[in-house]
Amino acid sequence: MKLTHLLALPASLLALLTPTLAGPEYNEHLHLLPLSNDYLYAGFNFTSTTSLSAYESHHYRYFPRSLGQILQYTHTSELHLRFALGRWDDESWGARPRDGGREGGTGVELWAWIDRDGGGEKVEERWGDLVNSLSGLFCASLNFIDGTKTVRPVLSFESEGSSRGSDGVGQQLLHGTLPNEVVCTENLTPFLKLLPCKGKAGISSLLDGHKVFDANWQTMSIDVRPICPSSATNTDDECMLEIQQTVDVVLDIERSMRPRDDPIPRPRPIEEIECDETKHYNGPDSCYPKRKEGAMGWSLSKIFGTPVLGSCHLAEDDAHENVDITLEVPSTRVVETSALQLSSPVVDAQNTDIRHFKLQEGIHRTDLTLPYQPNVASTLRSQPPLYATRQITGHGQERGGMHTLLHNPHPYPQTIIYLETLPWFLRPYMHTLKISHKSSSKTVELEKMFYTPAIDRKRATKLEVQFTVPASTTLELTYDFEKAVLRYTEYPPDANRGFDIAAAVIRVLPQSQTAAQSQAQSGAAGSGCKGRGSYLRTTSLLLPLPTPDFSMPYNVIILTSTVIALGFGSIFNLVVRRFVLVGEVPRGPLHAVVARVRELVGKVRGGKMGKAGDVGGDLGGADEDSGSGGKDTGVSTGKSGGISDPVMGSGSDKVD
Amino acid sequence: MAEMRSPAGSAKTDAMPSPPADPPEGQWTRRWIILSFWAIIVCFGLPHWLMTTSTYRASLPLDAMNSWAREDQICGTTDALALQESRDNSKAFKYSSTYHLTFSLFTPAAIPSDWDIDQALAQYIRPLIRALSNVSDFTVETQVQLHASFSPSIAGPQFDHSNREWQLQKSDLRGFINAAEWPLSPSIGAGPTINFVLYVPTEGQKPLVIAEANRATSWLIPQWGGVAILNTLAKQSTKLTAAELELAMLTFTEQLATLIGLPSNSGSLDEQVLRLKQNRAVSLIRSTSSTLDTVAHAVQETLSRLEQACDAFRSDDWDSALQHARIGNDEIETAFFEPSMVGQVYFPDEHKVAVYVPLLGPMAVPLIMAAIKEIRTWRQRRKAKTT
Repeated sequence: MKLTHLLALPASLLALLTPTLAGPEYNEHLHLLPLSNDYLYAGFNFTSTTSLSAYESHHYRYFPRSLGQILQYTHTSELHLRFALGRWDDESWGARPRDGGREGGTGVELWAWIDRDGGGEKVEERWGDLVNSLSGLFCASLNFIDGTKTVRPVLSFESEGSSRGSDGVGQQLLHGTLPNEVVCTENLTPFLKLLPCKGKAGISSLLDGHKVFDANWQTMSIDVRPICPSSATNTDDECMLEIQQTVDVVLDIERSMRPRDDPIPRPRPIEEIECDETKHYNGPDSCYPKRKEGAMGWSLSKIFGTPVLGSCHLAEDDAHENVDITLEVPSTRVVETSALQLSSPVVDAQNTDIRHFKLQEGIHRTDLTLPYQPNVASTLRSQPPLYATRQITGHGQERGGMHTLLHNPHPYPQTIIYLETLPWFLRPYMHTLKISHKSSSKTVELEKMFYTPAIDRKRATKLEVQFTVPASTTLELTYDFEKAVLRYTEYPPDANRGFDIAAAVIRVLPQSQTAAQSQAQSGAAGSGCKGRGSYLRTTSLLLPLPTPDFSMPYNVIILTSTVIALGFGSIFNLVVRRFVLVGEVPRGPLHAVVARVRELVGKVRGGKMGKAGDVGGDLGGADEDSGSGGKDTGVSTGKSGGISDPVMGSGSDKVD
Repeated sequence: MAEMRSPAGSAKTDAMPSPPADPPEGQWTRRWIILSFWAIIVCFGLPHWLMTTSTYRASLPLDAMNSWAREDQICGTTDALALQESRDNSKAFKYSSTYHLTFSLFTPAAIPSDWDIDQALAQYIRPLIRALSNVSDFTVETQVQLHASFSPSIAGPQFDHSNREWQLQKSDLRGFINAAEWPLSPSIGAGPTINFVLYVPTEGQKPLVIAEANRATSWLIPQWGGVAILNTLAKQSTKLTAAELELAMLTFTEQLATLIGLPSNSGSLDEQVLRLKQNRAVSLIRSTSSTLDTVAHAVQETLSRLEQACDAFRSDDWDSALQHARIGNDEIETAFFEPSMVGQVYFPDEHKVAVYVPLLGPMAVPLIMAAIKEIRTWRQRRKAKTT
């Protein structure tokens, strides 16, 4: 429960700000939360706003110009871009940050609402422009999001913005994924350049590619949405455009604290290791490291390699509660900050485990240190709304099956929307789609289903289903599929690695009123759902396709060429050559040499035979035979001789 | 086949083997066979192979293109050249039908983070843009960039004690724009981007001027844009007012005129714009016709536009001349960057040969050997005849 309060904090901060949104605003926030097994979750959040009128007249202040002009050029009213790496271990880390709402599937995920005026073709064209421009801006292969990777979901995503009047009617939602993209430093650098303080001041100075991409789980997001005050209350208020950038990482504390000058992990000398003396093999030379008790000590500067540099307070009036860093550790944990660097922590009224800090103006280097503490009560993690895993089943090159397990750990049923984007070369058999209880194999009825079949090389399959997962149950979603055979040129250079299948997006719909009440009564962990519900994504999959031998075309060329050349050669020789008897062939210079060699061989053999004794006589006859057979080689009308023909052989037989 | 005629018995009786005499009609048949094989290969096989494996190239109206591409003439009249005055106007941008203007406020600190740019633009830049609206279209963007640092390749400002000011060395002006860090990417869409950078130094580095340049604070980067340093007198606030921006905006207006290629020495703005139109029409016709040399597509369209432009040119209808020259130029530029033209331009012949060597090699060996042998025997026989 504590966790979810906190994970929803940036949103609640926003909610605080929304009524006072007058001019352009910028604020940033870092949320630190140690997870079990010495992992640390760090959630960076940067939000800037601009008034829609300034945006439309191309005056950029905190809103980045490079992104703004792309959005205007492509008529994009709302944009969501995700770069993700690694896997969130929800078994041990609990619920996802921000309800999974700022998270993407492995690789790159992009969805946007594009103005529909001008017809469907115009939307396609704008989407093409958008992915190409973003590709250039973020140094990612986003330009590969073409028709075969784009779908139009109906249920899974809802517009986060509130545009005045139209309410999303004139807009088309397009969703594209690029699961095989490897997110790296070159994507972080342009991401930081979009920030007003550019990673040079404030909490963004902690973001260093070496540390961020060394994380066990990492996701970067950019969300642009228009916010208009609801027309019922106040029509004078200006519409705003908000860009929210987040970076969420889960760092291994021990790994991240390795000193920079000695980054290679080495075994520590045995004297430094605390041994588990209960093991029977424990001795002076053998040691089983003792499981560490308590909470590991860490500091910002050691984990991120640098302290926080300066501050980035750009808001016009600094009066409102601008919290830079939120730390969520048990209230018993000691936190060392020098009073000069950080404001004294403000303890959250509702939850004493949450401490808020504010960066002081004019201070250059700010650090936060939590020393090692042996006895710390661990915080209770809230359960995620749903556990989901997905695998490919079956064997062979032709067919396979998709198998998704969905486990609802809560004592109340949950309605979910399951979205899959499948590449065209994976052809699902929809009649085999089945959702059943794992234990009893009782089937579950689909409530809604939106399915777009693939068109080869043109369109991806979209499968969007809505159903309810009963309380404390595990459901199985299965279907069979067939693998298409690609054209020779359609295989990537690393064809044998397999093809990435994008993560399935699962949206857990918010609980109805009654369910929420029963949940409150039962005292179960809160789902933290707001209007949109929470999201989670499965891991992406690797699909092995039948791969040809890529040297095959050249082999075929060589083989057919050889056959043709052989046929041509023999017919040509047959036509052009003169045929004579063996005896008529004039002796060339080679003849003498052959005769000499043959003589020598005969001598050597004869000598051997003589020693061997009794078998000698028989082999003498054989010698003669081989001699007569050997005449064949000498027979040819020409000295080219290489292509000697079988006809001559038969001729020599006659002679003998 | 014709040669299988030697008597079977003779080989046994002969002590010294010798082939039977080759009748001349047999020789001639063989020669004809070899010759016809070669004739088919050279006259039919090779051309067919080359034809089927070559890349397609469009044919061009070369004569018409070349006559346009002649350097010394414009619209058939050489005296039109006189119109184009300073051809070494290397500061100005190449003509485009659209220019994107980007005004950027850069500061190494966190303030000022706002400027009254809308009002300043309306006051100083918009009138000029309106006057030029016949020549080109302009889009305007502005941005504020905080925490902008110099590139490490320049020495940076030095404090001059005698004048009590910070000085920027002239050699540093070239690297003043930190291209790697400052987000000055060109705008999307056709047309070049003209950048105007207003740099506000920190409180500790004021006043910042260019060394040995009479306290100048602005300079022009040819074909890129202009830079101005703003040393505000008052203590810095978060917002720069339009009044504070006045000097910088006047500088930018002047720089914009230079970058567009507005002639500076002649009278009123209207006259200048007219001169600009004349210059642009002349240079456009010139550059379009020279680009024609290398381009295949859209040639007909461009040619007709050029004709129309010239008609207007001769009748002194400058608006229409520029209009047609503009369209012609845009056509030829798109043709030049047509992706289908670029894709298959390079297809090396080595690849083609490498693929066909397994077929051509083994086939060529008996053909060549037979030809060589036949030529040799023919020579020997001729020698034997003569001696």
